[in-house]
Amino acid sequence: MHLAHYREAHPLPFVITHWVNAVCMFVLILTGFYIHYPLFGGIMGICRGLHVCCGIIITINCIVRVILAFVVKSAPTGGTRSVVRDYKTWLPQKNNRHQFLQWIRYYLFMRKTHPLGAKLGVPQKISYLLIAPLLLFMAWTGFALWIPTSTWGISQFLINAWGVMTLRVVHYFMMFVFIIFMCIHLYLANIEGVAPTKLMFFRTEAPGLVYDPAKRNVVGFDGLGKEESYGEAQSKIDLDKAGVKC
Amino acid sequence: MATQQVTLGSRLDTALEARGISRRSFLKYCAGVAAMIGLSEAAAPQVAQALDNVIGETEGNLKPVIWMEGASCSGCSESFVQTDAPDVATCVLELLSVNYNELLSAASGYSLEEARKETMAAGNYILVYEGAVVKGWEGNALRVAGEKGTDSLLEAAYNAEAVIALGSCACDGGWQAARPNPANAEGVQKFLDDNGITTPVINIPCCPANPEWFTAVVVEYLLLGQLPELNSKNEPKLMFNETIHDNCPRRGHFENGEFVYQFGSEEEKKGYCLYAVGCKGPQTFTNCPIVKWNRRSSWCVEAGAPCQGCGVVTPNKPTRNWVDENTPFLKRHRYFQIGDWKSSPAGWAGVITGVVVAALAIHACGMKATKRTQGGADFETVRVYDVKHDNKQAEEYGETANKLYGELDAKGLEDRKIKDPKKQQNG
Repeated sequence: MHLAHYREAHPLPFVITHWVNAVCMFVLILTGFYIHYPLFGGIMGICRGLHVCCGIIITINCIVRVILAFVVKSAPTGGTRSVVRDYKTWLPQKNNRHQFLQWIRYYLFMRKTHPLGAKLGVPQKISYLLIAPLLLFMAWTGFALWIPTSTWGISQFLINAWGVMTLRVVHYFMMFVFIIFMCIHLYLANIEGVAPTKLMFFRTEAPGLVYDPAKRNVVGFDGLGKEESYGEAQSKIDLDKAGVKC
Repeated sequence: MATQQVTLGSRLDTALEARGISRRSFLKYCAGVAAMIGLSEAAAPQVAQALDNVIGETEGNLKPVIWMEGASCSGCSESFVQTDAPDVATCVLELLSVNYNELLSAASGYSLEEARKETMAAGNYILVYEGAVVKGWEGNALRVAGEKGTDSLLEAAYNAEAVIALGSCACDGGWQAARPNPANAEGVQKFLDDNGITTPVINIPCCPANPEWFTAVVVEYLLLGQLPELNSKNEPKLMFNETIHDNCPRRGHFENGEFVYQFGSEEEKKGYCLYAVGCKGPQTFTNCPIVKWNRRSSWCVEAGAPCQGCGVVTPNKPTRNWVDENTPFLKRHRYFQIGDWKSSPAGWAGVITGVVVAALAIHACGMKATKRTQGGADFETVRVYDVKHDNKQAEEYGETANKLYGELDAKGLEDRKIKDPKKQQNG
């Protein structure tokens, strides 16, 4: 069973920032590995240029994404076109944080059914939330290491506190944090089918169950014209204005 | 032209002539010194004048210097004196009034200590300190003339116009402070700070310190009557503001991605970049590639050795001396170390990533076995939380949903994997 995949879950601005994140992280990891240990010759200049360039882009992108979370509205779960301020879909809410243990039980095969509701499970919310500060911290260490920005006060603070070598070691190890994150992220996003990925990257909607955020349960099935619809149709309201807690 | 102001036949000229140094090469040297202290090369005559003024004075007016050694190998002194022929730098330094130097002074014992005491009492002197300050054994490790080494330093620094911490050991403890640091060694700046002495400290790092840096600092002090502008580590800003990497003659190979991966290889013969064999040039802020060593004849990287980063100093943190910071010298990273436990970071980062990937693969098998890979598991009909809190309304919606799942399953729109009605709710 799965909820219908509507575009409201990932509005266009977030599809763009996600693309930028994905491409930049991929390039940063590849070029970073090469800069750390150039296994073959010839592309050091290109790699360093790309690394710094993508580093700047992903930092700006991260800041923009965080700001947009307070501006743009998105659906708190699949199966509905109703929206709330995006940050609420990231921060565990009173309404769903008690599900943390249930999510862990689900992932560890300790329960057979899937916990209800939310676009992101509680463990997902926590890991995605961590990515923003981790990314900014990574950028901080990176810019402290890059000579043109190493004289900035904010860079000097880090250099004086830890020393350049420690910074390099930390910067290198943080990369593995991101690699591990990407592995888990790719796995969880695709293990139950590729529909979430198609929606996230290409905005392709897919039929599925309809979820009513007010009732906090499934109320119907939306075939999106491709299949027969059944039960109640999806709602399309501003949940913040309607006072529905999600 | 200011050049003419330098009086011919001064003591400096005589000294230069005696050592076979032409006026032309002397002025060239002065231009180099001028550049190092941030003046235009056109200031060479003024530099010459300053040197002439000081050095050309009668002996009584030479700038007095007390040159003390802490825990040092005397390498910094050696660096000054071990030139195969007298050069301009040694000429200048010899002609400073070095009233006390444990290595070079002809006098010894009582008379030498007396000279130090007299110089200190007269004031108006520069203290040069070479080697680390040893705080261990209550300062008794460097006892000279019945006086603790730490006490002698405090006494000499108190009255000095400035303290020049010469070499990385004097800057932050260097080799002497390397783990596990049983001598409790540290740099001059921290030691004086901790003991409330406010005499300005100028750190001149490297192992050994380059005599030309020392000369430049002395000249700036004599010429402009001021200490050089210092960076956050109290190093002269203009000499230590660019990395070795910035000015490295092998930089082109770095940009082209031409690296030495192994010593004794074809790449090494071709003089490729030493980055892959642990060169610390990118993080070492010294002007070695420009000033070079041994009277500008060569320096580490030019001689084929990766930079070990001996110029990386952290004056207030002896535990971050360049030796601990940069070993292993021939690897890209230092080891990750907690206490005595040491590990290669690259190794276990790979292992952890591998473990995660393996865990995910095993998890995927579980997902496959439980048929969750085909569109996910069945939803719970009522949330565990609502059941626990006996939420009647939620249970009612759950009942409707439960019925809906049955109908969808029957219509073939959405498979229901759990067929047993008792297990459908949750759990």
